[in-house]
Amino acid sequence: MRVVVAEDLFLLRDGLVRLLEAHGFEIAAAVADAPGLLDALLEQKPDVAIVDVRLPPTFTDDGLRVAIEARKKVPGLPVLVLSQYVEQLYARELLADRAGGVGYLLKDRVFNDDQFTDAVRAVAGGGTVMDSEVVTKLLGRSARQEPLSRLSGREREVLELMAEGRSNSAIAQRLFVTEKAVSKHSTAIFTKLDLVPSDDDNRRVLAVLAYLNG
Amino acid sequence: MRRGGQAVVLMMFTWLLVVVAAPACLVVAWVRTGRSEYAKGQRGRLRDFRYCAGLVATGIIVGGSAYPVLEAHGDRIDWAFLLLGIAVILVFRPRLAKPAVMCLLVALGLYGVALARHVGVGTYTPWRWYGLLPIGGYGIHSYGTYLILAQAYAYLLLGGWLAYREIIERPRLAALVLGRMAEPERRHDRWGLLLPYVVLGVTALVGSNAWFALAVVLVAAALVVIRRWPRAAAGAVVGGLLLLGLIGLFRAKYWSTSGNYGYLGPWSYPRFGAVDVSNQTMGLAAGAEALGFLALGCWLVPRIFPDARRLLGLASDNELARRVQRLTESRAVAVDTAAADLRRLERDLHDGAQARLVALGMSLRAAERLIEINPQAAVALVAEAREASARALTELRELVRGVHPPVLADRGLGDAVRALALDCPLDVDVDVDLPGRLPAPVETACYFAVAEVLTNAAKHSGSRAAKVALSHAAGRLSIVITDFGLGGADPAAGTGLAGVEKRLATFDGIMAVSSPVGGPTIVALEVPCALSLPKISSS
Repeated sequence: MRVVVAEDLFLLRDGLVRLLEAHGFEIAAAVADAPGLLDALLEQKPDVAIVDVRLPPTFTDDGLRVAIEARKKVPGLPVLVLSQYVEQLYARELLADRAGGVGYLLKDRVFNDDQFTDAVRAVAGGGTVMDSEVVTKLLGRSARQEPLSRLSGREREVLELMAEGRSNSAIAQRLFVTEKAVSKHSTAIFTKLDLVPSDDDNRRVLAVLAYLNG
Repeated sequence: MRRGGQAVVLMMFTWLLVVVAAPACLVVAWVRTGRSEYAKGQRGRLRDFRYCAGLVATGIIVGGSAYPVLEAHGDRIDWAFLLLGIAVILVFRPRLAKPAVMCLLVALGLYGVALARHVGVGTYTPWRWYGLLPIGGYGIHSYGTYLILAQAYAYLLLGGWLAYREIIERPRLAALVLGRMAEPERRHDRWGLLLPYVVLGVTALVGSNAWFALAVVLVAAALVVIRRWPRAAAGAVVGGLLLLGLIGLFRAKYWSTSGNYGYLGPWSYPRFGAVDVSNQTMGLAAGAEALGFLALGCWLVPRIFPDARRLLGLASDNELARRVQRLTESRAVAVDTAAADLRRLERDLHDGAQARLVALGMSLRAAERLIEINPQAAVALVAEAREASARALTELRELVRGVHPPVLADRGLGDAVRALALDCPLDVDVDVDLPGRLPAPVETACYFAVAEVLTNAAKHSGSRAAKVALSHAAGRLSIVITDFGLGGADPAAGTGLAGVEKRLATFDGIMAVSSPVGGPTIVALEVPCALSLPKISSS
């Protein structure tokens, strides 16, 4: 799987490259600034790009803007955005095209390399991965609203993990229940929230996030 | 030349008309203003009647001034028409008395200015009447010529002042006539309206044959300046008046002492302001006028140029002292908060991230020792170290958010407030109208001000929704935060809103709170600042 990495700090870029190579990814390009990233994305057409939000030249949200721009030119180009902080505003902008193949994670998530590489693969496969902090904030804001308050505690846990972009089996593993139980919960959630149920993991995530984003 | 008998008959006829018609007009006015449609009580009636009486009086003065001129043309009934017009106004539309008085006064003033120009030209002027005084005779030494200008300017001033007051009291009319000058803070700029007259006066000094064409062009230009650059117009009026005054005084001295009036042939006397200087008398009149211009110009200087008084050392420095006081206070607050923020930062780093990094180092050292003897325990320690580093990162993140939120640096105030709204437990509707970026310190202060107000609203208002509107106009950033809760917020009671006000004061910003019991609570913040042009995207 070919990956483009964009990160301006040498130590972190090097660390990411090593981590990815150790897990069998092929590094198509490792760039340090926004223009370089755009060129790499459009020329290399990687299977997935891992992009830091803050990049030169302006050291603001250049990475994010390049990612969104590249996805306009190459629809569905899988991009996993990494950042020292997560903002719901940026999550919304990434999700706005509803094309999937999007991830938005805190940099800390790299510590857990298995989960991180899972996330990279999920995004490359067209899935959507949101940091649990984004999901917590989303839920926190709308928790008091009517349909969400009808969910049971377990259903909320499942919803949270679903919104983060996890598959049924991953959720089952995490909550120590069977996959069947998870799919039962997810059906209940979709009924309560008035969403069209879908077996496709990716569409399911997008529906849930769209719902939470109001 | 008029035969004496005819003149006497004419005079008697005139006085008869005045004595009979004027009281009749007043009676009509008194009856009309008492009619039910105008029944606004005795005071209202008196006010209306006052203008009606004023109209009759002005009519008599105007008629008296105009009559001999008309008579010279053999058109004797014009004055009767004037009185008839006044009577019609009084009978049918007593309310028109007010504008009619103003128009007549201004017309009389302008007529006087024109009259002053010509009265001294001829060697003989028939006896005539201007305003309240007879003038004429052998015009050169007639005492009346001195008084034409004074009267003309008095009528212009009175009529202009009445008209100005009337215009100011009607906002729509004011906006139409005054344009941008209608704004109350541009009160002094309204003196700029005198620009066409000043321009005429200054061009008259040129005295060339092209005077008239030049004057037309310059007056047209003056009208444009008044409309587009009211401040510049006011400044030009002051400069023009001072120039006219000084030149006029010098010339008056020359004219009255040398006896040389610069006669250049008929219609080519040196002009000054409202007079053609054809003789010594008019030279003195020009001097008096120049004195008036100079006085008005000097009086206007501190009003149009507020800094002039301080520069001349005339102003009491109250304003400056207050400003210094405010700056001292806001600087103290700024320094205190900056110091407090740094202390908090130091403490948070010391107790948080630093402590965790120490623990991390110790765990790693322990793992180093254990790795040979007890690999399993070492792995557990390393995992612990990893978690400690994640927690340190979380804490640092929170710290950074408190110092300067990253989204504020990335996107500016508009998007930062949008992000704030998304994180706020209230349902916040954000309306941003900022076409550029604000200065970074203002952005930060305003961001934390909005955050504080929203936190307050979420905690105390009981509202579930709020609205934030940001806009920038006329060099001021304005932020209005509205919640639909219980109201009753008092900036004096809590530290939150008072703190916001103090911090904004550093930037000369102000805060206003309207929070009646029962809501809604509206907090308005205003900070003077420049808006930089939108950044052009680098990609």
